[in-house]
Amino acid sequence: MPNKAEPVGKGGKNVTHARERARLLKAQRERREARRRLLIRVGIPLLVVVLVIAVMVAVRATQQPAAAPAPAPASGSADAAVTQALAAIPADTFNAVGTGTVKAAPTAITGPALTADDKPRVLYVGAEYCPYCAAERWPMVVALSRFGSFSDLGQTTSAGADVYPSTATLSFHGAGYTSDLLSFTGVETTTNVPSGNGYTPLDTLSVTDQALDSQYNSAGSIPFVDFGNRYLISGASYDPAVLQGLTHEQIATALADPSSPVAQAVIGTANVITAALCKLTDNHPADVCSSAGVVAGAAKLAA
Amino acid sequence: MNVETSRTRTPPAAWASFGLAIVGLLLAAYLTYEHFTDSATLACIGNGAIDCLKVTTSQWSEIAGVPVAVAGLAYFVAMTFLCVPLRSGRDLGLARLIGALAGTFMVLWLIYVELFLVGAICLWCTGVHLVTLLLLGAVLWWREADRSAYYSD
Repeated sequence: MPNKAEPVGKGGKNVTHARERARLLKAQRERREARRRLLIRVGIPLLVVVLVIAVMVAVRATQQPAAAPAPAPASGSADAAVTQALAAIPADTFNAVGTGTVKAAPTAITGPALTADDKPRVLYVGAEYCPYCAAERWPMVVALSRFGSFSDLGQTTSAGADVYPSTATLSFHGAGYTSDLLSFTGVETTTNVPSGNGYTPLDTLSVTDQALDSQYNSAGSIPFVDFGNRYLISGASYDPAVLQGLTHEQIATALADPSSPVAQAVIGTANVITAALCKLTDNHPADVCSSAGVVAGAAKLAA
Repeated sequence: MNVETSRTRTPPAAWASFGLAIVGLLLAAYLTYEHFTDSATLACIGNGAIDCLKVTTSQWSEIAGVPVAVAGLAYFVAMTFLCVPLRSGRDLGLARLIGALAGTFMVLWLIYVELFLVGAICLWCTGVHLVTLLLLGAVLWWREADRSAYYSD
């Protein structure tokens, strides 16, 4: 039965179709209008925000840092009194400190033995700007000085504009190391002098060392130390804050007092590093590797 | 008869906003955890341009003594409540919009700090920034969906 409201016959059908078409057209118009409103009210605000960010990135990419980093003192040769103090820490002091305030011990890894000149090899990768490298170099030098001797160590500070600014430290750039038991390579990839978005390049890793770094340090963190492919360090082993505001001489002097925060951190870490080195040298020299401080360090290593 | 109209239906934008607020909450919780524990590695990353620690320990990582990570966590807790896709949530449209806009302005400030004051980018922070911007889009979309539903019913 035909709807009362709708016209009947041929002319009535046309009117129905026309109404239906009009309804569809109206619905289409409304959908288009809704899309347009959505684009204006959602898309435009987001586009504005993205453009503001893009402008900031573009400006930053084309200019030097707005906040000029505080100038870091130039690197130079290490003070002889400082290096002598580091190499002449009495055994009693090492033993009195034990593991001190060390926070992280080297991690055990497995890999083909890393050697050079038929000796276990230690690879250090860092950069002069990096405050954590600045902290880690002190115990590295102290520990390695128990197995051999350094020559031409540098003396520098971490970057002035980074965390723990201008931390006093040594530099392995251009340094030599002589030992009957170990081989050591120290690589400082940049200076502490800002350049572009980073720092001025310094040493370059050899192809083999780059491969080691990529294999065991995929995050690219520094400091990174590979102990003969048996242990590795990634990051500082103690809190760099203990060195804040101290000169090289003050740090060297503080190491003579086992109760000082500097000695607790640096010598404590050096004992743990020494324990890792003793694993590479089959516990040679015996007097070092069997000392109370290193035995305590070895316990931390195994933990 | 149970008739579901476009006004009672939960729009997809509401679920998108809620999901993004949850993601932001998780990221902010992680950054807060890192801030208050020693789990952060004491290390520099690469050439210094991408260095989360440098950003999260800079002098701009606190505002009036409140760590930015904690402020971010509080923000996403609030936004998660505001974005719960319930019928009553429709009444919170204005608060949600104000929250999303405030978050966006904060993100612009933090990006400025990273680029021009600290000189390093934190990828975890960038994740939070991205979620905040997407949340603004979702909240605006939700608002538009609510408006359309209001006029069509």
